[in-house]
Amino acid sequence: MGPIAINGLISANLNLVIAVFLGMGFGFVLEASGFSSARNIAGAFYGYNFVVVRVFFTAVIVTMVGLLYLSYFGWLNLSQIFILPTYLPSMITGSVIMGLGMIIGGFCPGTSFAAVAIGKIDALFFAIGLYIGIFIFAEVFPFLEKFYLSGYLGHITLTDLTGIKAGWWAFGFTVIALVAFWVTASIEKKVRKKIKEYKF
Amino acid sequence: MNRNYYFLTAIMFVLALGTLFISERVVSPQISPDELLWDVLQPTRFVTTDQIAKRLIEKDPSLLLVDVRPAAEYNKFTLPNAVNVPLDSLITPAGQEYFGNPGTKVVLFSNDAILANQAWVLLRRMAFKDNYVMKGGLNGWIKTIIQPERPPQTAPETAFERYDFRKAARLYFTGAGVVNSGKSSSKTKVVFKRRKKAAVAAGGC
Repeated sequence: MGPIAINGLISANLNLVIAVFLGMGFGFVLEASGFSSARNIAGAFYGYNFVVVRVFFTAVIVTMVGLLYLSYFGWLNLSQIFILPTYLPSMITGSVIMGLGMIIGGFCPGTSFAAVAIGKIDALFFAIGLYIGIFIFAEVFPFLEKFYLSGYLGHITLTDLTGIKAGWWAFGFTVIALVAFWVTASIEKKVRKKIKEYKF
Repeated sequence: MNRNYYFLTAIMFVLALGTLFISERVVSPQISPDELLWDVLQPTRFVTTDQIAKRLIEKDPSLLLVDVRPAAEYNKFTLPNAVNVPLDSLITPAGQEYFGNPGTKVVLFSNDAILANQAWVLLRRMAFKDNYVMKGGLNGWIKTIIQPERPPQTAPETAFERYDFRKAARLYFTGAGVVNSGKSSSKTKVVFKRRKKAAVAAGGC
């Protein structure tokens, strides 16, 4: 019965070993889906490349639907999985900043390291900037702390919040994602026609 | 557009549709049969009446006595500060709130040790830890603490020390001219924390 690490099916050491391989796999998939290119990532904003939207939506819906099936088959205890605690105002602010960062910088934190691994210089500067940002945030944290911890809602899920069954959320998101795949593909086609030279 | 995308879209849609019809499984924690057998065979769950008496006299806050007899018997008499969780209400959420609280050691007792033992096995099966069974139950309590027997002359010195302790404990509990008076103090409300969720994985993006 999962989660296998905390239910003692595997030891803590094996857990670390698996984490290393999962990390490698994650990095590999990021690189293979073209996330090591700043153009691909910023492309979602300009409308010529929606690979970011597609990859992340795929990850979300496969995980959502997969977790529900795993729980149904009795292989995973959903009450034991980690749920990020929700702080509404700081999360909204954070995602706006992160979105701006992705358009301006062309990377998100994980992809910048994937890109550093294949020798992208812009990614190297992005990664350095990341650490500078972390340092600045840590230094001004006492001033931000009140805002940072405001609006705490706990470890809630959409099902806890709304009372709508998890299956409906999974189905709804899947439909949205599948529609998004086809819509983005057609947007891409239109926008790319106007671009004379496109390579990444 | 690649034909594979049509297939993938269709598969994902069907799978997502399926999630509407499956119900989430509510899993109550339990331990494996092997582990249960091993724990049942261990005598470590038994505590003696002397140990309980000592802790009661010391007013040990980490000790929680749970009377698993039916409520009628509990109302007649019980041990000081004991709470009543009859065996048949052990599996209800209200009955379980006393168990598995961090920092609390729960001692189960009944008239003899049989009912308490059954309760202990049930609780262990439901993966609760830190539960104990009072050896001999209330009968043993009467025999050892309330009416202690004088050891024979040839008994070792420790037996006499224990006898002295039991005599003192008897004074303490029966209130023969000593402290602890009044029936009202014998059943107090116990403040308990709700049982925490089982461990969750820590992590993030």
